[in-house]
Amino acid sequence: MKKKINLWAWFWIVLGALYFLVPLYGTFDFSLHEKRGVLSFFAYQNVLMDPRFRESFTYSVLMALATIVVGLLLIVPTAYWVHLRLPQARPLIEFITLMPFVVPAIVLVFGLIRIYSGPPLAFTNSEQLTNLLLMCGYVVVAMPYTYRSVDTGLRAIDVRTLTEAAQSLGAGWFTILFRVIFPNIRAALLSGAFLTFAIVIGEFTIASLLNRPAFGPYLVYMGNNRAYEPAALAIISFALTWAAIGLIQLLSHGRSDQGQLGGMH
Amino acid sequence: MAQATQNQTRVVSPQRPSVFRNLTAWIGVLPFLIFVFLFLFWPASSLIIGSFETPSGSFTLKNITDLFTPSILDAYVLSIQISIVTAVGGGIFGFMLAYAAIQGGLPRWIRTALTTFSGVASNFAGVPLAFAFIATLGHTGFLTAFFADVMGVKIYDLGFNLYNFWGLALTYMYFQFPLMVLIMAPALDGLRKEWREASENLGASSFQYWRYVALPILMPSLLGSTILLFGNAFGAYATAYALTRTLNIVTVLIGAQISGNVLYNPNLGYALAFGMIVVMAISIGLYTWLQRQTARWLR
Amino acid sequence: MAFLELTKIRKQFGQVAAVEDFNLQVERGEFVSFLGPSGCGKTTTLRMIAGFEIPTEGQVSVDGADITNQAPNQRNVGMVFQSYALFPNMTVAQNISFGLRIRKESESAIKERVTEMLALIHLDQRGSSYPYQLSGGQQQRVALARALAIRPQVLLLDEPLSALDAKIRISLRSEIRAIQKELGITAIYVTHDQEEALSISDRIVVMSHGHMEQVGTPFEIYNFPKTAFVANFVGTLNTVEAIMVDPEKGVLKMDGIQFESASRVDGLKKGDKISIAIRPERLSFASEQRKANVVDAKIENITFLGSVVRIQVTVGKTKFNMDTFNNPFLELPKIGDVLEVTCSREAVLILDRQN
Repeated sequence: MKKKINLWAWFWIVLGALYFLVPLYGTFDFSLHEKRGVLSFFAYQNVLMDPRFRESFTYSVLMALATIVVGLLLIVPTAYWVHLRLPQARPLIEFITLMPFVVPAIVLVFGLIRIYSGPPLAFTNSEQLTNLLLMCGYVVVAMPYTYRSVDTGLRAIDVRTLTEAAQSLGAGWFTILFRVIFPNIRAALLSGAFLTFAIVIGEFTIASLLNRPAFGPYLVYMGNNRAYEPAALAIISFALTWAAIGLIQLLSHGRSDQGQLGGMH
Repeated sequence: MAQATQNQTRVVSPQRPSVFRNLTAWIGVLPFLIFVFLFLFWPASSLIIGSFETPSGSFTLKNITDLFTPSILDAYVLSIQISIVTAVGGGIFGFMLAYAAIQGGLPRWIRTALTTFSGVASNFAGVPLAFAFIATLGHTGFLTAFFADVMGVKIYDLGFNLYNFWGLALTYMYFQFPLMVLIMAPALDGLRKEWREASENLGASSFQYWRYVALPILMPSLLGSTILLFGNAFGAYATAYALTRTLNIVTVLIGAQISGNVLYNPNLGYALAFGMIVVMAISIGLYTWLQRQTARWLR
Repeated sequence: MAFLELTKIRKQFGQVAAVEDFNLQVERGEFVSFLGPSGCGKTTTLRMIAGFEIPTEGQVSVDGADITNQAPNQRNVGMVFQSYALFPNMTVAQNISFGLRIRKESESAIKERVTEMLALIHLDQRGSSYPYQLSGGQQQRVALARALAIRPQVLLLDEPLSALDAKIRISLRSEIRAIQKELGITAIYVTHDQEEALSISDRIVVMSHGHMEQVGTPFEIYNFPKTAFVANFVGTLNTVEAIMVDPEKGVLKMDGIQFESASRVDGLKKGDKISIAIRPERLSFASEQRKANVVDAKIENITFLGSVVRIQVTVGKTKFNMDTFNNPFLELPKIGDVLEVTCSREAVLILDRQN
């Protein structure tokens, strides 16, 4: 009876593997065909040499870093506080973390423009302020995943007991947060950071509609104008995402399958 | 003084805290709440309010009723269709994959590989995904060429088209399957080996175990995940935009509104957004409720 | 022929032999415990009776029929799991009736049987509750009823009480034993708790590292352990090294002090190093009654354990624990006193030869 289950199981796995891997292989193969009749990395060279690639990629990386920092600064103390002093706020906070799903990116950007494009909050008139707006949008979008990462990390370390132990040894709040709590949730923090990174790098919707020179809009621009470079870019994107998720897996030692839920669609 | 230190070291007060104490505690979450209000709730609610206003600002229900004009209704129908198709298809296939990897008696590395890959694939959505599918199944794509050269089959002549409804659905599946896998994995983990053994011990066959024990236990999770997949597809924008701007789904319509391309009536756009929020809210609500049900059983 | 027979059972997992040379004959209606530490093979053996493992070698038969290779859902054995394994999506009544539904019994027969089972486990009113609404002890009782509802030939219990509180454990184990006796059903009970095994079994099989160490009644296992392992695992005792002086007369020397033992072990010669064991409760003060062995003991420590007073003494160079019943009116010796302590020949057990 065990044998029969195995066959059935292998069937689905093979089917799944085919569906996932064939497009990747196909894309890679396609990306190597820029030079007629020869397999070459010409498309990749073009991409990496393209100043717009470097600019948009740099822009998105900086955005990602800013999003990570702001996001963690907002979320970690909040999550810590909820765990420790305000458990009654938990249902509210968890409700809030579901909201970005209820308001998907396309709707969110619509709302952001409505509020922040006219007086008195004319963010969109200034490039820097629009960048700020974009970053805030990113923080909102990444918020459910970041919060869940941090929350899981805090849950795993029995925050209350650690805090009480530190207090009984004479530590103040700052010490506790930075020398006791943060080091112990480092893996969770990094997981959240990498996930945010993957989300921001790949994001298109908000960036394009706010007219910012991010990586996502750059990809679409290439898609409109070139044939082989988009495929190369897709492979590069995939490699980046793989690296980010792979690092998360490494950090969480394969625990918590939900650590990788994310994505801009 | 001992009393003062005592109050400081006390992390949670056992007796009912005074209102004042409660209020000061809420300060800790204030930055977060303010941020979320400024950049999520306020924009979202302004959209909702805007959908009940005319461009000049007076109250009207016309925007809502205008949602039912044929072209917009078509968009909703199309969005719903693609969401249902990819939710059910993604749900079934994703569940089968998850089950095969977790309970199918396969080597451990398959499960790790599947969850890692699912993590990557569910994040790979959007523009790069569209490009990948164009490179694979587009007019000059890898597979298209493969079928034509090696098997003599010209799929576009046979009616296949990456840039129509079914092409988009196929592309969406790439992030729907993995999402299903990631959500169902914990539920499948929760299917304890002893339940299967107990049912065998009591005389049940494999089929009976599934019918009376495993599927009923998993059903809330299955339903909830499928609904989440529905919402996920409904709110997707980037993939559709990068693949084919021409497909008339609600998200693309909203995008066009924002860019000022089509029917310059922002309030109608707000109504569209409002409609989307309603659909998403219902799906998230159902999903949460069903997940809670499962959690109760799989304690 | 016995009702349940395990003959020359061996189970190999890769290179490791989890169970080796297991032979047991269980009479109908007997309650046998498999007792041993984690990893000794007791659960593996039980699972071979249930059909969740197939023996690498050997035979399992029930009531004359060879079931060694039969699928688990074809056997008529009922199993109670350590984690209860109640189906969470079904009520108590539905759980209990599950096996009967599979066997396609009539609705009225099922209803009757469920009522009967609920009465047996004293949960008459909880038929429509769900498992998550019940306490651990209640869930385990439902699991028991579920296994018994199908009228199995053998009842298998895999450490059913390990997950429960101490007090519940004690009351539930007597309940299980009472039900088993009332129904006259043959039962195999796996546990690592020696007190549990001693209190409810007809016979105990003590296992270690996949082997049977000893089979016997609780009385035999406790008072006449055949190996050092059994002696150490079951009950508390003092184990010390000694040297054989006269194997035929059972004379030995520990720290130069002579002891006489009533136990005889084959193959011992004069001068052999041996392990001997003496149960703490078999030592007493010579002032009460002089038995065969009398030695001088210095009082080191006195611990009050409730009904028992544990006195730690030194005999020669070796420390011994001595247990006496608590008697509020008896004056206990003081630390540092040297008194005569005695025990009978039968109390001195010679275990295997020391390597």
